[in-house]
Amino acid sequence: MIRVVTLEKIDPADMAFLTATLYRAFGLGTEHAGDRPVPRDAEMDDGRLDAVKFLQDVAPVRTFADDKVLYITSAPLALPPGPLGEPPCWGFSQYGGERAVITTSKLPERGVTEASIETWRRRLAREAIHAIGHLWDLHHCYDAKCAMHPSWSPALPANPEMDLDTFCREKSERRIRLAKT
Amino acid sequence: MRGPPPRHPDEQREQLPAVEGVIADAAELQPGNRVVYPNQGVCEVVGVEEKDIAGQKLQLVRMRREEDGAAVLVPKNKVPSIGLRRVATGEQIEGVFHFLAAQFEDPELDWKVRHRDNADRLIAGGVLGVAEVVKGLHSLSRIRPLPAKEREQYDNARHLLVHEVAVSLGVPPALAEDYIDYALMPPAGVKFDLKPPPTPVLLPSRPKRRRPAATEEEGIEDLGLGDLGLGDLDLGEALAAVPEGEAAEGEGAEGAEGAEGEAEGEAPAEGAAEGAEATPGAEETEEEAAPRKARKAAAPKVPAPKAEKREAKRAAAKEPRRKAEKPAKAEKPSKKPAARKAAAPAKKAEKPAAKKTAPKPAAKRGGKKK
Repeated sequence: MIRVVTLEKIDPADMAFLTATLYRAFGLGTEHAGDRPVPRDAEMDDGRLDAVKFLQDVAPVRTFADDKVLYITSAPLALPPGPLGEPPCWGFSQYGGERAVITTSKLPERGVTEASIETWRRRLAREAIHAIGHLWDLHHCYDAKCAMHPSWSPALPANPEMDLDTFCREKSERRIRLAKT
Repeated sequence: MRGPPPRHPDEQREQLPAVEGVIADAAELQPGNRVVYPNQGVCEVVGVEEKDIAGQKLQLVRMRREEDGAAVLVPKNKVPSIGLRRVATGEQIEGVFHFLAAQFEDPELDWKVRHRDNADRLIAGGVLGVAEVVKGLHSLSRIRPLPAKEREQYDNARHLLVHEVAVSLGVPPALAEDYIDYALMPPAGVKFDLKPPPTPVLLPSRPKRRRPAATEEEGIEDLGLGDLGLGDLDLGEALAAVPEGEAAEGEGAEGAEGAEGEAEGEAPAEGAAEGAEATPGAEETEEEAAPRKARKAAAPKVPAPKAEKREAKRAAAKEPRRKAEKPAKAEKPSKKPAARKAAAPAKKAEKPAAKKTAPKPAAKRGGKKK
């Protein structure tokens, strides 16, 4: 089961699109599990949220074994800098774990037209699939058409696909089959 | 360092400089140590235990794979040979990132060489070897999609690299993967201040091809003539004695066979050229192929091309007559026992014997006409 938790209010139609897309991508039931407050410790001086701290400190959601929880926030996320600097952060997941967080701050403007809303929803769904994919042990994929391709990659098209490629889909299906529940 | 296991048991394992951090003695392992088991990932040493296996008491090092808690048992005396190594240091990891971020647009295109090299790198290349596999296959994926086997190898290598980087830097694996891909696929407009990447991993040279020549030679030389008392039989001389017309008659078939032989000889050379791009060992295989051809030419094979026959003639002329007489003496009993009586004056019998015996192989070959 995938449980989606929001930190700010989100349009119900957007949520419906997201849950339906996640269900199609992983074949797992998906539901909106309500709102949670932003953990204070995760807030940084520049207004961003420390993604790693956020997942440690965020209020838990009641789950069963193999349930995955996806948090959606509109605040920008930050990662600790690595050997070559700080990578851009669209989301962060506990690899093979239970929690993931994505931000809507880097998505294109939602706008008011049907086309822009559709684009925004598709991009949100892609980031959600990407984050949940990490929770099911998927690594980044070199294929720019796959949802597991890094979100900052220059090879990523303006309106990227929100599906997994064959390899990643099969791998995630294998993992889900082998899950305890 | 010990290279990967020899591909053929009779081949000596090539000794290469050790990858940094390889554990050469099981005594170095202490409970709680974190080590990297090639192709398995980061493991924690639990301890040493003794087990009775097949009537033998074995000392086993018990390890626990950190990723999933799987138990890994390694005989203590095998520890030096499996390539167990310590988790990469900060300096090594920095080198890996500078390597990943460097420009690299020259992936190996020969899949056989690439697959074997990548397997070697994963086993014996240390953390840099794993990074080389990831980067090599990633570069290749920009040119064309990877085949299923290599896609899996790429994913495995990435998995190993992510976990080792995560353990070494003390960060969650997903963050380590972000660091890796930030270096591998930097966002548009990002330029890194890179240091020169570390020296690439040395791989063991390609093994020499196994020569089927041993059996070939047996087939040529051991015709079972020794059993008949014809061990010294010089067929080249016998052929030399064949009159021109008869020899020409048989040449059609000989030519075909000769061509066959050449094709056989060329096949390994082609194979060598195929992989010659990457390894010096390929030259050796070609060099091997050449003497084989020469050996074939020198061998007193019945179906020999004209030039070889001429050479055989010259050689025969130089040799003492004693040798030349032998076939005449020897061939008689095999072909016509009745001729033994007439063969008392050996000198006289020399030419007729050759004449009598030579047509027979020709007749045999002529059998094809049937």
